[in-house]
Amino acid sequence: MNDTHLEALRLEVRSWLAANAPKGWREASRTHEDFFKAQRGWFLKLVEGGYAIPHWPAEWPGGGRSLAEQKVIYEELADGDTPRLLLSFASTFHAFSTIHECGTEEQKKRYLPKILEGETWCQGFSEPNAGSDLASLKTRAERVTKDGRELYVVNGQKIWSTMAQYADRCMLLVRTSSDGPKQAGITYLLMDMKAPGVTVRPINQIQGDQEFCEVFLDNVEIPVSERVGEEGAGWAVAQTTLSSERGLTLMELSYRMRGAMWRIAELIRKNSRSDDPGVLRDFGELATKVASACAIADQFLANRINGIERTGDASIVKNTYSRTLRDFSLLGLRLGGMDEQYLAPIVFGDLTTGNWMADFMNSYAWTIAGGSEEVQRKIIAERMLEMPREPKGWVVA
Amino acid sequence: MIERSELHDAAQKAFPHDALKPDRAESWKLIAEMGWLMLPLPEDAGGLGLGRDSAAAIHFELGRALCTAPVIPAMLTVQALGASETLEDRESWIERACGGEFIAINLRGGGDVTATGDTLTGTLPAVADADMASHVLVFAKGLAALVPLDAAGVTVSERPLWDESRRLFDVTLSGHAVEPALVVARGDASHRLAIRLQAELLFALAADSLGGATTILELTIEYLKTRNQFDRPLGMFQALQHRCADLKVMLGAAEALLWSEAVKPDATLAQAGGLKAHATEVYRFVCEEAIQLHGGIGLTDEIYCHLFMKRANLNVQLGGDADHWREALGREVLAALAG
Repeated sequence: MNDTHLEALRLEVRSWLAANAPKGWREASRTHEDFFKAQRGWFLKLVEGGYAIPHWPAEWPGGGRSLAEQKVIYEELADGDTPRLLLSFASTFHAFSTIHECGTEEQKKRYLPKILEGETWCQGFSEPNAGSDLASLKTRAERVTKDGRELYVVNGQKIWSTMAQYADRCMLLVRTSSDGPKQAGITYLLMDMKAPGVTVRPINQIQGDQEFCEVFLDNVEIPVSERVGEEGAGWAVAQTTLSSERGLTLMELSYRMRGAMWRIAELIRKNSRSDDPGVLRDFGELATKVASACAIADQFLANRINGIERTGDASIVKNTYSRTLRDFSLLGLRLGGMDEQYLAPIVFGDLTTGNWMADFMNSYAWTIAGGSEEVQRKIIAERMLEMPREPKGWVVA
Repeated sequence: MIERSELHDAAQKAFPHDALKPDRAESWKLIAEMGWLMLPLPEDAGGLGLGRDSAAAIHFELGRALCTAPVIPAMLTVQALGASETLEDRESWIERACGGEFIAINLRGGGDVTATGDTLTGTLPAVADADMASHVLVFAKGLAALVPLDAAGVTVSERPLWDESRRLFDVTLSGHAVEPALVVARGDASHRLAIRLQAELLFALAADSLGGATTILELTIEYLKTRNQFDRPLGMFQALQHRCADLKVMLGAAEALLWSEAVKPDATLAQAGGLKAHATEVYRFVCEEAIQLHGGIGLTDEIYCHLFMKRANLNVQLGGDADHWREALGREVLAALAG
């Protein structure tokens, strides 16, 4: 894959986006429902253009792209300020990798083509009492035979399921055994969100969005044929789900943050602070940090393209991005002054919107979700810096 | 074409980072022998024509070992010789300089040297290792020239530093008449050369800083693994683990920025300044934490922490401080994003 080829791809994507990317999408989605429709429309458009699933294998239209090509496509999606693919993310990355790598032939045939028609998936992993400590999940699945059908009957509660209110299907982790290590009793199921007993309740976030949901499961019947991997092998399958996207999103987001620097510049000008040395210093410092976040995300992907990935590298990229995003929104919030304390409409699907209170609150999504900043620190300290692990077995005195 | 990784390997072999603060005279000899001073010189000037990232690789590794020899100023002055269109016997100057004749330069910016015609007067501060230099490269308005340090009207006085790994001197010129043969650049060319060397200095200091920060962080983590308190290694305490992890993140991101900026042909002076400000602040902060994490022993001269901390604080000042460069970069980015 040479540079000429990649540059040609870049120009091709750029001109396609110029003709097809939606304009004014931030203003167009004033309700969450509108946002959902716009997301769906944009995803289907990208499928048509051949840019929605570059990471899928070559037998799929638009698939078979090398990581270097994927990087180019994501750079263009970011620099072109197109809507981020939020709704389809869990489907094209998590569900795809899981089913493609661990699913049965039957599951592949049934579910993968549907994703390209707009069927969406959500994750049913976390629980109210299983957050960072995911393996301690308690949602029970009991195996029964009913009217000659082999079923799991599932009871429990899931939380933080992104866009579950619009999802057709769910990647569900359940406990099928309480014996042995807690990871060993976990099983991976594919669940129809319209099955009887599934109740979805969107969670009201502090900035007014409803990006996540709680999912209540009350005697939900899931056929055994919907199991991925063996019973009790769900933890390993879940690792496939969680490692399906490594680096592209954080690169894309870093580029988008760089592309949003004008919002702070505009604020500085609006407030007539263009000659205020203190403000200029903070702005200059932020520019360097944002460039640094882009550089480490680029480096991580460049290493992966060359087959290098060291334990902990991904954690460094994530903690760099999430802290820089916090700094970005905090500078905007500070410079925005009193104006930012008056309620203003929020924008869905964007982390750097210029509604600075909302952006600040939203920035926690990246220091908490997807393995919190603290979990990443632990990974870096124990696995990368090889600092001694704490002894297990803490007991309440 | 030499890969950057080869330069890192070679520099690590010559300056292993478990031998901190090696002897200056021996180090200088080794640097000249390795041919590193030729790295940034264009090929038509007898050099290797390699980019900033190559020089930065050397500065990074020598920063790791707290190198005491003037490799940073030497690479700057060699480049100035290579760029000169007025210097007589330029080729032989380049050969001498690459072979180990040290030409010094001011590393701080500022100073109050004025040129009246070709006569220089004033004090040039922060000239590194002037005691082992034959000449100093002086910039005054519209003029860049080599000044022999043993010439009449030139005095050199050392200003002892907290940093034990470097030596800085004030060079005072009292009506020194520049020899026409030693003019390096005039007018616009002199101004352009000054800007170019300033950018190279900023990259060099950033690389030296991130190299130093890498070593002191490694040493600190090593210490936390071996020092036992409360029947366990200190490194087992999560409070300390998280601080080390944060330092690692900070350093990793800053290093990625260094290598990405070093290969951008169009990086501006303010961007180089922003990088330098960030890298030196990271170095300073890693050292600040290193002393705290070592506890009492970190406050003694029995251990290495103070050497890094003092060098880091000097790096913060050399080449212009963070306030200066962040403001300059802020202004530049703001102008580029004119609404």
